[in-house]
Amino acid sequence: MGLRASIAAVSIVIAGVVVGFFVTQYMGHTPPTVTVSTSANTVEGRPVVDVTFTTVAAVGSGLHPNWVAYLNSDGNPSTYFHVPAGSVVRITIDQQDGASGLRNPYFGLVRGTVGNEMTVNHKVMTSINPDDAAHTFTIPDLGVSVPLLGVADNAPAGAQNVVQFEFIAPPQGTYRWQCFVPCAAGTLYGNGGPMQTLGYMAGEMTVS
Amino acid sequence: MTERRRRYIRMYALVWFVLAVAGDIGLALGPTPPFQASDLASSQSTVIKILAVIAWPVFSAVVATIAFTLFGNRVAPHEGDIDPGKLRGDSRPQIAWISASIVIVLSLAVYGTVALASDQPGAGISTTSASLRQPASPSDPLEVQVIAQQWWFTYRYPTYGGVETPQLVIPVGQKIQFHVTSLDVVHSFWFYALGVKADAVPLNDNVFTVTPTQTGTYRVQCSELCGLWHGNMNADDAMVVSSSDFAAWIQQQQAMDAPILKYLPAYSHTYEPNPPAYGT
Repeated sequence: MGLRASIAAVSIVIAGVVVGFFVTQYMGHTPPTVTVSTSANTVEGRPVVDVTFTTVAAVGSGLHPNWVAYLNSDGNPSTYFHVPAGSVVRITIDQQDGASGLRNPYFGLVRGTVGNEMTVNHKVMTSINPDDAAHTFTIPDLGVSVPLLGVADNAPAGAQNVVQFEFIAPPQGTYRWQCFVPCAAGTLYGNGGPMQTLGYMAGEMTVS
Repeated sequence: MTERRRRYIRMYALVWFVLAVAGDIGLALGPTPPFQASDLASSQSTVIKILAVIAWPVFSAVVATIAFTLFGNRVAPHEGDIDPGKLRGDSRPQIAWISASIVIVLSLAVYGTVALASDQPGAGISTTSASLRQPASPSDPLEVQVIAQQWWFTYRYPTYGGVETPQLVIPVGQKIQFHVTSLDVVHSFWFYALGVKADAVPLNDNVFTVTPTQTGTYRVQCSELCGLWHGNMNADDAMVVSSSDFAAWIQQQQAMDAPILKYLPAYSHTYEPNPPAYGT
C-alpha cells in the first residue's frame, strides 16, 4: 500500500472516530430538566404537579450569559419538564424580566388554562395590556397561552411578579411550548438567539 | 423486415398497450389528491387526473422501450452478428414521435394555462382596504385573515368585530376570502384539503378565494422554513362546519376574546411592526 493510500485510510478512520464521538455525545446528551414535584392535593381526583420557573433578562453565566431565559430551580436555563397524563399541572413563574411588548397583541389573553385565568401576585387576571408583557408561556397544540406581566423598568433588583396558572395535562406525547414576545435583545426584531434555541425561550413538555 | 423483428415489435406494442391501458384505468377511476373538499381542490384534482392520464402512456412507452432494449434485444453469443436494421434516415418513425410529442405538450400547455387562469379568482396581492363590515349580500365572500407568526397561525374575522382565534373554523358552502400576512418572517399558509397554499409575507396581503364543499376536520401547516419550530407549525384542528355551527362557534370566540378585544389593533390587512419595541 502506497503512502498516499495509507494517509487517506488513516484520515478516514480519524474522521469516522470524530464523527462517531460527536454523534454519541449528541445522542447521549440530555438537557437539564425542570424538577416537577407532586403535591399532596388532588383536584377532582386528579393529582396536582407543581412546576416552577424563574424568568430573567440575562442568565448571567454559561454559554450565553446575556440571553434571556426560563430558569429551573437550580438557576440554569431549562425548558424541559415531564408530567403525568391527566394530572393538573400547576405552573408558577417568578417573572423578573422587564416588559418588551407583544408583536401580536392577541397573546395578551389568558386562554386554555383552568377557568381561562391566571393569578399575578395572587390577583386573578384574564388578560394583560400586551405592551406590558415580558414573555408568554404558550403550548400551541393545547391552546394554552399565558402572558407574563413584566416588572417595572425602575423596579429594584430582584423585584418579581409571581404568575400562577393550572391546566390539565393532555394524553401521552411531547408538546412544544414557547414564548411569543420577541424578547431576544440585540437580535433582528427580537426573534433570534434565545427565541430560536431550546432551553431558553422554547422547550418541550413530555407527558407520560 | 425479418420475422424476428416483426415479432419483437408486436410484443412491444402489446406490452405497452396493456401497461398504458391498465394504468390509465387505475388513474381515471382512483382518487386523485387533493380530493374534493373545496371547489379549488376538485378542480386541482381534475387537472392532475387529466395530466396523469395523458402522461401515463408516454411513461409506459419509455419504460417498455428501456425494458425491451435491455432484455428483448439481447443477442446470444451463438447467434452471431445480426443486422439491427437502419434507423438513421428513416423519417417515418421520427416524424411520428416528434409530432406526437408536439401535440401532447402543446395541448397540455394550453389546458394547464387555462385551468390555472380560471382557478384562482381574486388571488394575488390585495388592493382593497381593510374594514370591519358586514357582507352586503350572502353571496359576498367571508373575509378571514390568516396571521402567521413564529410559530402559530392565528385568524381574524373582520365580519365579526375583528375577533381573533388560534383555531381556523369556516362555514361550508360559503365563499371564503383568505387574507394572508405575517408578523415576522416569511411563512406559508397551507390548507392542503382546500387546495390552498399562500405565502405569508410581512407587510403584504396575499389573497386567496375558495369555497369549501365538505365539512370535516383538517390540517393546516406552514410550508416555508421559518425557524426553530417550523416543523411543528401545524394544527390538526382546522374545521369546515355548517353555517349554524359556525355562528355558534364565532359567538363563543367573541365571548372568549372579550378580555383582549380592547387591546387588539384596528383590523388591517397588514400590521406594521414597531421596531423600537423589539430587539432592544
